[in-house]
Amino acid sequence: MRSETIALPSGRRQVVYRAGEDGPALVWLHSLYGVEADAAMVEELARDYAVYAPLAPGFTDLDELADIHDIHDLALHYDDILVALGLQRAVVAGHSFGAMIAAELAAHVPERVSHLILASPLGLWNDAYPVADLFGIPSPEMPKLLYADPRNVPAVDGKPDVEAIIALSRGMTTVARFLWPIPDRGLSRRMYRVRARTLILHGELDAFVPARYAADFARLLPNASCRVIPGAGHMLIVEALDEVLSATRTFVSNAVEARV
Amino acid sequence: MKFHFFHLMPYPELPDDFRQRYHGVWVDLPAAELFDADTGYRAYNDYLDELEFADRVGFDGICVNEHHQNAYGLMPSPNLMIAALARRTSQAKLVVMGDSVALYNPPTRVAEEIAMLDVLSGGRMVAGFPVGTPMDTTYCYGETPATLREKYREGVELVLRAWQAAEPFAFNGKYTQLRYVNIWPRPMQKPHPPVWIPGGGSVETWDWCAEHDFLYAYLSYFGYLRGQKVMEGFWNAVARRGLEPNPYRAGFLQFVAVADNDAEAERLYAKHALYFYNRCLHLYSGFSSPPGYTSLATIRQGIEGQIKLAADRNKELQDLTWSQILERGYVVAGSPDKVVQQLTEMERTLRVGHLMVLLHFGDMPKETVEYNTTRFAQEVMPRLRPIWSEWEDNWWVKESQATLSAASASSAHLAVSASTSD
Repeated sequence: MRSETIALPSGRRQVVYRAGEDGPALVWLHSLYGVEADAAMVEELARDYAVYAPLAPGFTDLDELADIHDIHDLALHYDDILVALGLQRAVVAGHSFGAMIAAELAAHVPERVSHLILASPLGLWNDAYPVADLFGIPSPEMPKLLYADPRNVPAVDGKPDVEAIIALSRGMTTVARFLWPIPDRGLSRRMYRVRARTLILHGELDAFVPARYAADFARLLPNASCRVIPGAGHMLIVEALDEVLSATRTFVSNAVEARV
Repeated sequence: MKFHFFHLMPYPELPDDFRQRYHGVWVDLPAAELFDADTGYRAYNDYLDELEFADRVGFDGICVNEHHQNAYGLMPSPNLMIAALARRTSQAKLVVMGDSVALYNPPTRVAEEIAMLDVLSGGRMVAGFPVGTPMDTTYCYGETPATLREKYREGVELVLRAWQAAEPFAFNGKYTQLRYVNIWPRPMQKPHPPVWIPGGGSVETWDWCAEHDFLYAYLSYFGYLRGQKVMEGFWNAVARRGLEPNPYRAGFLQFVAVADNDAEAERLYAKHALYFYNRCLHLYSGFSSPPGYTSLATIRQGIEGQIKLAADRNKELQDLTWSQILERGYVVAGSPDKVVQQLTEMERTLRVGHLMVLLHFGDMPKETVEYNTTRFAQEVMPRLRPIWSEWEDNWWVKESQATLSAASASSAHLAVSASTSD
């Protein structure tokens, strides 16, 4: 995985990680902790796809969000990224926060997305089974919310240094900017616009975003199927990496063949 | 120096096993289960009596503040309390400490209400503008932590313009858009009431206050020894701008307990102080640091400079004892001599011209509050008063003719009502 900084027509600069050269272009929109934290997923995808993984604006510098006020600005920013990368049309996959952006991108600019893979997506709200408040619990309790088995939490070497704490805080500030106080920015009103075939993957034991939301996404998207993965929590790409990868490969190749 | 009587208005009947039964005093403490309106009625009326009492015994200012969805302070609207006090006090200036500007939509509501109160009180208002705690702003009022401070500053800018503009103007802000800003009434004080900024140790607030010539008040319950690093940060920001280190630029909050001696102080005040620290400050750590509320610069300074944010203190409060409260300087307590000596040392350490004192603790009964208040006003205040007399206070209400005549009219009114009720 290597990273580069590209210029966008808006004048903003954008960090994009790249991995893999061959195969169809796949855009990976990262989870809660940035692209580096998703490295295992990205490297695996790179076996079959030319992977482009933009780092969400805000993660390198909070000032990147100065002109990105709301979810619409954010969706258009991602459209700018795809255009700048020469990707008129691509497979777009994302996890958690990244899946919410992927869905927004597909709803705002439907022609940009050929296939959409949403792993544990955020973006909908139902009073009967609310999304848990990720930001309203002490940080030591976060693993319990995000992992079905807290033993799956990636180990950290030693005590985090100042820069690591600052980077984590910057990332979470960015995520909270688009999820606070309720992670519903009106996606349900726009999902009819999505044209891409969509696969929704969700952990059966997701304590953060209950698995019932997978069915809601499937119902609201015009052309979607969903698969609930037993035993997994919210951090699907850690707890069920193989299942996510094989489901993604099957979904994209079947869809490609179907189109041919 | 000047002295202000600050009231937090806590809910006074939280159960003894409060810490065990509830995870915190703020945000989601079940009101339907714990709030009793008769208790609230008695508390509000006692607390307003205590503030009026402070006016009568010679405090320069009386202070109230804004908090939401909690049993720590029952004032979602401090301006309502000031309105009640404006007609029942005559001398003391009315310090709202203050309105959390980002929570008012549009923020011109704050400009209007403070202007109303300033006119109503004969120009006695001091306008405090806090960002607001994370609990109040982000959890209770749903503000996005990442944009809260920017929205707050834009709001303060709008309020200041609304008070002073020569003609109606349009305001095209990032967070507020108004085609016509033209508030009625306008404040009595010109160009506007003094602006005080209550802070909790954020790096950028020091610079912002210094830049705009706002008073910086550090509101902490953890004593002046702990407050030293924060006030140093502020004074460094003042020095960086080449401004005079006038002590009246700064305020500090301190619990004070005056008695004959240490033993009486413990007997009168200890259990009420413990009620405050153990119950009113029982904060759930899940609501202490919404991502983005604290700037990265302040987090960095906190890690590198060992400055603890108020919200990190919860763990220190478990099983706190009266002797620990005194050792750590959370409460300055004892005989008038001892209190004068400690507050003098505090003045030397922090360099604050405006001392806000908390003389009501947690669930203290009114008689005890009035006893503490009387002794502070008679035996402590006069001895500290000369400190900083060489400096001019430019962060305070200027006595205007209207203030003076309003004060005498108001005391005449009080005298009349007192005699008719006899």
